[in-house]
Amino acid sequence: MTMQTPQSDATTDIMSAPPSNREVMATVLSRDLEDGQWVEVGANLPVPRAGVLLAHLHHGPNMTVMMAMTKANVLNEPSIEEFELITDARATRWAEAYYIHNDLVENMKFRKNGVFFAGALQIDPWGNSNLIGIGSDFNRLKFRGPGAVGTTNATVMNSRFHLVVNAHDKRIFVEKCDFVSSYGWGRGKGDREALKLPGGPRYCVTPLCVMDFEDESRRLRLKSVHPGITVEEVIAKTGFELIVPADVPETPKPTQRELEILRKRIDVAGNLR
Amino acid sequence: MNQHVTPAPLQRKSKIIDIETALDNVKEGMTIAIGGFINAAHPMLVVRGLIRRKFRNLTIVGAASSGLEMDLLIAAGCAAKVATPYISGEKLAPIGPAFRAAAESGKISVYELDEALYYCALRAAAQRVPFNPWKAGVGTSFPEVNPALKEIDCPLTGERILAIPALNIDVAFLHAAVSDRYGNVQHNGHGYGDRAIAAASDLTFVQVERIVSNEEIKRDPLRTTVAGADGIIRAPFGAHPFSSPGFYTEDQAHIKEYVTAATIWAKSGDDSAIKAYIEHYVMEPADHVAYLERIGLRQVLSLNEY
Repeated sequence: MTMQTPQSDATTDIMSAPPSNREVMATVLSRDLEDGQWVEVGANLPVPRAGVLLAHLHHGPNMTVMMAMTKANVLNEPSIEEFELITDARATRWAEAYYIHNDLVENMKFRKNGVFFAGALQIDPWGNSNLIGIGSDFNRLKFRGPGAVGTTNATVMNSRFHLVVNAHDKRIFVEKCDFVSSYGWGRGKGDREALKLPGGPRYCVTPLCVMDFEDESRRLRLKSVHPGITVEEVIAKTGFELIVPADVPETPKPTQRELEILRKRIDVAGNLR
Repeated sequence: MNQHVTPAPLQRKSKIIDIETALDNVKEGMTIAIGGFINAAHPMLVVRGLIRRKFRNLTIVGAASSGLEMDLLIAAGCAAKVATPYISGEKLAPIGPAFRAAAESGKISVYELDEALYYCALRAAAQRVPFNPWKAGVGTSFPEVNPALKEIDCPLTGERILAIPALNIDVAFLHAAVSDRYGNVQHNGHGYGDRAIAAASDLTFVQVERIVSNEEIKRDPLRTTVAGADGIIRAPFGAHPFSSPGFYTEDQAHIKEYVTAATIWAKSGDDSAIKAYIEHYVMEPADHVAYLERIGLRQVLSLNEY
């Protein structure tokens, strides 16, 4: 059924701007997710939040969405209010169950069908990453990070994870992380398996591009560049040798339907635009 | 002479105590814990009380995701060592400014853990066993930056696992919605990791927004999160400037005031603003009511959830 909605000026305005690169990033994450999966919506992570909710509302009616430490399904909510802080108790009103935090972090079976998103201060060519800090001496760090939060565990126990960063430069993409708080592919194929660590990184999504991992070397490979970004720019801003195929397409933009869900139901405030 | 003595009827003891009596349980050198989660439900009468008592050598276990209450304790010099996977105010301060500065300068030592390793450590303490095993963390820098964690071969399967030592807490402090006079505590909502903190502690003291009747607790015993705390502290608005689910939201303006002062100190070494903050909001108010008076009735009563 097609809804015949007269287009108001406000609606036209909301939909008229071309997709922003952050909307493109959210769409990449959304398209990777499948119905039935278990995903978390963190706070202060607008791109993964939008990606998860887009998948849920676009093609994932049976997804379990962890919001503010509750089990939620918001399929029938007209719009999903965005909360600034993960501790906002108002975000618990959609709960079908509460996750007691130690249960959420220690019960691992449900994560078998989970997908996780991890940020990083540093990422090496194999997707090993660091949230601990920058410096050679742990007791005298040049830059102390916030801490690993739950990422060490969640990047192992979920079926896969994606690295998502808000910037793309040589400080983030380094030949060697000063510390590794989340294990990626080690130093190549077989390393992760040898440690009997399940899961692993699939994509690395940045404001410039999407990268995946080449199968044999398990090194980061350029998959697509976002609209307006050149391959040269990505190479220049990456601190190690990136695998670059002969043909690098543009990252697919959201469809009209994806963009409508994003702008009218998920990101009404326009934080991604 | 034969006298018939009727014994006095047995009386169940009230657990309601004042904040100073609760703080008397803390001694220099102890490991204490502060519950809550990032910008919510920290026991702030306790935090300010510890600072007023000028502790200098505490090991402080924060929440699995702790917030700027830990940062304030670090800024005030109470913490020699912190154990928490995260100290942040989210968008209000992506990394605790005093935590960052004190960790970088080596003023505090950090017992590095991720959230799963943290709960392993608490669970081992609760179970009174030397360690709990965990899988994730193998192959990472955790055993290097925290030498207390050991990568070992599983005695059953031979696979590499991490051994996480028990993290025993001497005294835990939490903030919850209600309790009866007997220490039966109920949170609003899921209660974060507060249960796990209490389980790992020898003593647990809980600030509550309201004391309720024992009958009210018994209406829904499944909601009881800490069954028999060692002491209950009456503390309306006792999580301020952080939120208390079902009662009030966080006071963002106040948190920003703290972050501004702590950031100046962390970035420039000029501690006049953070000292003034601590003096004005922590040292000078004689008690919790005096603190709330400083914040102002109008401000306190504006922090509505709905």
